[in-house]
Amino acid sequence: MTELSVDQFREYALRVESEVGKVIVGQTEVVRHVLVSILAGGHVLLEGVPGLGKTMLIRTLGEALDLKFSRIQFTPDLMPADILGTEILTDQDGRREFRFRPGPLFANLVLADEINRATPKTQSALLEAMQEASVTVAQQTYHLAEPFFVLATQNPLEMEGTYPLPEAQLDRFFFKVNVDLPNAQEMVEIMDRTTGTETSSAGKAVSGADIVQMRALARAVPIASHVKQYIADLILATHPEDANASPLVRKYVRYGVSPRGGQALVLGGKVTALMAGRYNVAFEDIHAVAPAALRHRLLLNFDALAEGIRTDDVIDELLSVLQPQVN
Amino acid sequence: MAPNTDLSQTLHAWTRRLRLQRALAWSSRGFLLGLALSLGLGLLGAYRARLLQAEFLLLVISISLLVPILSGLTAFFWPIQPLKAARTFDLLFHLKERLSTAFELVQHSEHVPAEIIDRQLQDTLSASAKVNLRREFPLRYNLREGAVALLLVVLIGAVWFRGESWFKAAQRARDVEQAVAGQSTQIEEIIKQIEANEELSEAQKEALTSPLKEAQESLQDNPSLESSVSVLTSTGEKLQALSDPQSQQMSEALKETGDQLAGQEGSPLQSVGEDLAQGNNVSAASELKNIDVGELSPAEQGQLADQLEAMADSLQSTNPGLAEQLQQAADALRSGDTESAQQALDSAAQSLARAGQQITSSETARETASQLQEGAGEVLAAGGGQQQANQGGQGDQPSQGSSQSQADGSGGSGSGKGTSEGSDQTGDEAGSSPIPQDNGPGDGGETSYEEIYAPSLLGGEDGPQVGLPSSGEEDGEVIGQGPTTPGDPGQSLVPYSDVYSQYEEINNQAIENNEVPQQFTEIIRNYFDSLKP
Repeated sequence: MTELSVDQFREYALRVESEVGKVIVGQTEVVRHVLVSILAGGHVLLEGVPGLGKTMLIRTLGEALDLKFSRIQFTPDLMPADILGTEILTDQDGRREFRFRPGPLFANLVLADEINRATPKTQSALLEAMQEASVTVAQQTYHLAEPFFVLATQNPLEMEGTYPLPEAQLDRFFFKVNVDLPNAQEMVEIMDRTTGTETSSAGKAVSGADIVQMRALARAVPIASHVKQYIADLILATHPEDANASPLVRKYVRYGVSPRGGQALVLGGKVTALMAGRYNVAFEDIHAVAPAALRHRLLLNFDALAEGIRTDDVIDELLSVLQPQVN
Repeated sequence: MAPNTDLSQTLHAWTRRLRLQRALAWSSRGFLLGLALSLGLGLLGAYRARLLQAEFLLLVISISLLVPILSGLTAFFWPIQPLKAARTFDLLFHLKERLSTAFELVQHSEHVPAEIIDRQLQDTLSASAKVNLRREFPLRYNLREGAVALLLVVLIGAVWFRGESWFKAAQRARDVEQAVAGQSTQIEEIIKQIEANEELSEAQKEALTSPLKEAQESLQDNPSLESSVSVLTSTGEKLQALSDPQSQQMSEALKETGDQLAGQEGSPLQSVGEDLAQGNNVSAASELKNIDVGELSPAEQGQLADQLEAMADSLQSTNPGLAEQLQQAADALRSGDTESAQQALDSAAQSLARAGQQITSSETARETASQLQEGAGEVLAAGGGQQQANQGGQGDQPSQGSSQSQADGSGGSGSGKGTSEGSDQTGDEAGSSPIPQDNGPGDGGETSYEEIYAPSLLGGEDGPQVGLPSSGEEDGEVIGQGPTTPGDPGQSLVPYSDVYSQYEEINNQAIENNEVPQQFTEIIRNYFDSLKP
């Protein structure tokens, strides 16, 4: 059992947020969701227009977490071997043999920048590694080091020459975090920090071992049966055919959330509870992580796209309609 | 103390508070329900003249107390599942599911490390200790419910103070029910007496009890005022019809004869005379039959012949058949024909027995008819103000001004119905008659026309046609009619003084002929006295 207490967990988490905050202006919710996802052992897909600091955020997080960090810039000509690694012929003591040379995926924190620019073949190679935490090359399986996180970014605007991630692969991401435009005050602060003579950087807040302990502690957090029941009801209510489905769900949702969504809610809720100083999951923890955990798992129909309905609208309505039950 | 124990104590204390809060809330709702229920039932009972004022008060108090007490007790002791209570407290006290999680951990903790459980329990206790139970979970009375309760109390008070006419009507209805029940019991006793009377034949018993049994059934089936009075009156008329008007004279003649014979000590008919004097006619007939003429001495036979002859003379006018048989016996005795005398004597005894049965039957019928008439009067007296109450219930307006009284004056022979109408006549002025006097205009409507009050010919259906002096028409038709109040000239074209003497004469005849129930004779006399010109 972990020796970590909830206070230490909270302290570590806040320390990470503080270090990231030295570089990243604002975006507290984004930072929080990314951190929750990392502490829950999940991968994050960040979506936002260019220039919002997505890459900077993840790079800073890598600095703060004291983890082996690698960045992969996804391009259409990127091949799976470029990220996984490849067998190379080596000559050692007169013996020539193939040896595996690990790709950039062999790190603790991988930044998959503009993931939707790579071909599906390369995307699949990455997503398989995300799911299995291992890589298979030439019939040889290589386990990735713990902890292993993939933080991917994608640009929703430029669709030409991109390969949108299939829904099944989107489901592999623990959270999908939308990165919004900073407000005016934050914008000024960004300009001040990035255009001066001094550049700020994040210090090491926690080690990889700490993160492993934090993940273990998070998984041990208990969750009451009626909270689990609420999560199950919530997941089922995202399906149009469910009795508890909200009007927006019935009208605009094509496919509801998979059970992975429920897992994300539970784990995200546990981490959120610990970060709030609690040893149990509350309904408010579920509500806090629900948009990030569900938005990429909810498939809207054509009507929704035509009428400008966003998944967040559907989720917000669902959360307001489906109230926690005492019974 | 172990965290588990602390948690249990906290949960127990909060559950007790929850029970109290629920009990208070449901008592309040029960009080409202009780008030509404008692108001509804009270209104219904009062409006239908079923509830007395005291009963209304008792109903309101009992229901208003009983329902909230039961509601509160039920709410307090209603089973509360601890887990459900823990979830409720989480929501109430914003504990963020700490308590319910802790409760579940205590119950089923196999998948969670002990260290985590301990930390979670400590965290829950720490958060629970910050809860201010009185502030977060106050025992408050809902002011809105209080306002509704006040409104209901005001409505109940309005019924209490404004529903006096309803309660009076209920009282009268109750009195009528009791009076009708009393009459039913009385009829039952009369039937038993008739069936036990050995002087009556089976046919006479059947003739007398049959209408009484029908009346009893009718009273049980429909014990309303109108129906009861009608049944009692009509039954009295039927029984009156069974009585022979001459039987009373015959009875008196037999008694007179009996007195004379009883005074002749040592005579053969002394015992017969004693029985006749006491009204034991059947017994006297038996004594007469038992006389063995052959065993009498010639002197006694002569004395017997004289007595029989005297009896025949006395009974000649009331019972000629019996008188003739007695005379035949006397003649046979004088002629020494004892055998014929014995036969005539036996025949006379049989006639005397029949006469005795007839007298008994008539007297029983007359007495029973009289009792039923009195009973009808008692029922009427019991429901004397019912019509007023009914009208008050419809219009809630006291009767005043002109009034109309309809009196069923049938009695005696059961044919003396009369109707009087007066514009200024109040119940007091009409005497102590129990007949409703207040059906006047403006009192909320008139009562429906009922046959038992239907005017009929003076003296009954078979009574004499009364010709009133008119303005010249041959058939004496009255062409105008005005108020009959003494002193009020009205608009009648017939001189009042001419009419009055005829009415008074007919009235006196009716009273003398026993055509008017005894309890009404004094009232009617007073009434005619008040009408004297």
